[in-house]
Amino acid sequence: MTFGDLLLQQTINGLSLGAMYALLALGFTLVYGILELINFAHFNVFMVGSFVGLWTLQAMGLSGQSVILTGLPLLGVMLTALAVTMVVSGVLGVAIERLSLRPLRNVRGPAAMITTIGVSYVLFNIVLLTAGADSKNYPNPLPPLTWALGDAVLRLREVLIWIVAVALMLALHLFVQRSRLGKAMRATAQDPEAARMMGVEVDRVIVIAFFVGSALAGAGGLIFGLYYNFTSFIIGFTAGLRAFTAAVLGGIGNVPGAMLGGVIIGLIEAMGSQFIAAAWTDVIIFSILVLVLVFRPAGLLGRVAPNRS
Amino acid sequence: MTGHPVSRRAVIGAGAALPVLAGFKAAFGQDKSITVGINLSLTGADAESAKRIFNGAAMAFDEINAKGGVNGYRIVVTPYDDGTATAGQYDPAQAATNARKMVANKATMAAIGPQMSGAGKAMAPILSQGDLAIITPASTNPDITDPKFAAQYRPAGKPIYFRTVATDAFQGPHMANYYADVLKVKNVYILDDSGAYGVGLADAFQAQAEKKGIKILGRDRLDPKAADYTAVLTKIKSMNPEALFYGGVLQAGVKVAKQSYDIIPKVIKAGGDGVYGPEMLSAVGAPANQGWYATIAAPHVTDDPKMANWIKAYTDKYGVGPEDYSVTAYDAALVIAAALKKITDGGAAPTRSAMRDAIQSIKVDTLQGPVSFDANGDIMDKTISVFQIGSDKAFPPDDMRQYKYIGVAPAS
Repeated sequence: MTFGDLLLQQTINGLSLGAMYALLALGFTLVYGILELINFAHFNVFMVGSFVGLWTLQAMGLSGQSVILTGLPLLGVMLTALAVTMVVSGVLGVAIERLSLRPLRNVRGPAAMITTIGVSYVLFNIVLLTAGADSKNYPNPLPPLTWALGDAVLRLREVLIWIVAVALMLALHLFVQRSRLGKAMRATAQDPEAARMMGVEVDRVIVIAFFVGSALAGAGGLIFGLYYNFTSFIIGFTAGLRAFTAAVLGGIGNVPGAMLGGVIIGLIEAMGSQFIAAAWTDVIIFSILVLVLVFRPAGLLGRVAPNRS
Repeated sequence: MTGHPVSRRAVIGAGAALPVLAGFKAAFGQDKSITVGINLSLTGADAESAKRIFNGAAMAFDEINAKGGVNGYRIVVTPYDDGTATAGQYDPAQAATNARKMVANKATMAAIGPQMSGAGKAMAPILSQGDLAIITPASTNPDITDPKFAAQYRPAGKPIYFRTVATDAFQGPHMANYYADVLKVKNVYILDDSGAYGVGLADAFQAQAEKKGIKILGRDRLDPKAADYTAVLTKIKSMNPEALFYGGVLQAGVKVAKQSYDIIPKVIKAGGDGVYGPEMLSAVGAPANQGWYATIAAPHVTDDPKMANWIKAYTDKYGVGPEDYSVTAYDAALVIAAALKKITDGGAAPTRSAMRDAIQSIKVDTLQGPVSFDANGDIMDKTISVFQIGSDKAFPPDDMRQYKYIGVAPAS
C-alpha cells in the first residue's frame, strides 16, 4: 500500500464517519438555534433510531448477513427502512419535546438541559431492558460491491452513506433557507418574541425543529447500523458526544457549520488513528475543539445565536 | 439500600427449598444455611456469557440443596451485577460496591466471581479486609493473585482470590507459542481494549511473542465505547501483517471482528477467552467470525462424552447450552460445597476464615478434573485450550459448539 493510497483510504474512512457525525450534529444545531438548548436526549434518539431501523429491516425478512438484495427490491427496502426510521425517530423527538420540555419552556436556568439528560438515560435504559444488553447483528442487504482505487477500496456502503447524508443535508438546507416554515424557523431563532408578534406559531416551529432533528438522528442511526453491521444500546454516547463537538466546532446553531464540523471530526479521527494512535483520538479531537474555541469562540462558521437579552 | 441485598431470586430459591427445610427442622430443630454471593457482569456486552456462567454455579448449588445441602446447611445464592448501563460492560466502581455489600452481609461465607479482571482488581482488596474468599470461574489477569502485588490486592495478608481457571500469565504466552510453533506466524499486530484484562493479556502475549522471534509490527489501544476501528485497521492493513492478536472482551471485540473482516479478511486473528462467548456467534456472525481463534484458561471438557449428562441437564434447565466457564463456575461451587463439608463434618459452624482456610487446602474432584490451589490462590492446572470458530451445520449458528476445539496450546 503506497502512502498516497493509504491517505486516500483514511480519507474515505474519515468522510464516512464525518457524514454520520454531521447528520447527528444537525439535530443539535437545529434545536440549539431555536431554543438555545443543548438536547442531550438526541444521543439516544440516534441509538433508538438504529434499533427502529433494525426492527424494520427484520420485519421485512432481513436478518443477519444472509440476504443480499439488488436493484429495485434493495431500493424499496432501503427507502422503507429510512422512511420508517425517520418518522418514528421524529415522532419520538416530538414526544420528548411535548412531554418533558414544553412544560419547562419558561423556566430559567439549566432545568431543561438537565431534563434532556434524564430523558436520554430513560431511553437508554428502556432499550437496554427491552432489547437486551448484547450487541445486535445488523442486517446488511447491500451487495458487496467494491471499487479499487489503487490499493484503497471504496465500498458501496460508503458511497451510500455519503449520498444519503448529502441528500438529507441538502434537503434540510433548502427547507431552512427556502420554505415558509424554514423562514419561520430562522425568524424564531433570531428572536422568538418578535417572531411571535409577526404571526409565527413558535410552538409549531419548535415541534418541527424537534421532528426534523430527531428524524435526521434516526437516519444517522440506520446508517450507523448498515455501515458497521451492529448496534447496541451503548452507541449513543460516544457518537453523540463527537457529533455535539462537531456542532460546536462548526458553530452551534449553524447548519452548514454542523456539516463542516462533522467532516472535520471524522477526518481527524481517521488521520489521528493512522499517524498518532487510536488511543489518543479523544485527546486530539477535544484539544482541537478547545483550540478552535479559544481563537474563534463562535466556531468555524460562526454561531447563530438568538438575540436574547 | 440496606446491608442485606436479599434479591428476589434468593428469596425464590429459599422458597423452593422449603419442603427440604421442613425435613431439617425436624432433624435438627433449626434452619441452617450459608449465603454465597455471585458477582458477574450481568449487564452490558458480556451479559450473555455472564448468564451462562451464573447458571453453572446456580445449578451446582441447586443440586446440592436438592440432596439436602451440606451436612444440613443449605446454600443460598445472592446474585450481584457489576455491569452498569453507563459503562456498557463491567464497571469497577460497581464491583467495589458489590464487594462491600457481600462483606456487609454477615451470612455470606464465600463468593463466586467475578467474570472480569477489572472487576476483580476492584473487589479483591475489599474482600481481603472482610476475610471473604472468592473463587473466580473466569477472570484471568495474573496481577490479582501475584504475590508482587499482595499489598494492593490482599492487604489483610492471606490469599482470598482463588481461581478455577488459569491466568493470562499462561493464556497470553501459550497463545504466542501456538502462533509461533503451530501457525508459524512471523509477524503480528496487537490490539487491546484498554481494560485490565485486555491490556494484561496483550502484554503477556507480546512478551512471549517477542521471545519466540515473532516480529511485533505495532500495538494500539482501542476505546471500547467507540464504534469505529476502521482507521486503525486500515493502518494495520498497510503494514501487511500475517496475524492480529486482540486482547480484550466483547464490547470492542464484536467491532474488531466485524470491521477486520472487511479490511483485513485474510489475516490470522485470535484473542483470549475474551472472544470466547456467545456474542462472537450471534452479534458478529458468519462470515466475519469465521477462522477466529480463541482460548480458554481451562481444560476443555464439554466435548467429553462423560459430560453429556451434565450438558443435557444444564441445557434442559436453562434452555441454552453451557460454555466452558459454566463448567468452571460449577466447579467453583463444588469447591465451596467441599470446603463447607470439611468444616462442618466435625460439627463446627462455618465462618469466613474457616471457609477460606478450607478452600486454600482443599483438593476436589470437579468436572474439569481435580482442583487444588497454590499458595497464592491460583489453580494448579494451567491448561490453555485453543478453539477456532467455524460453521458446523450440525448445530445452530449461535451454539457455543461452533467454537471448534483444536487442542491444548503449547506450554513453551
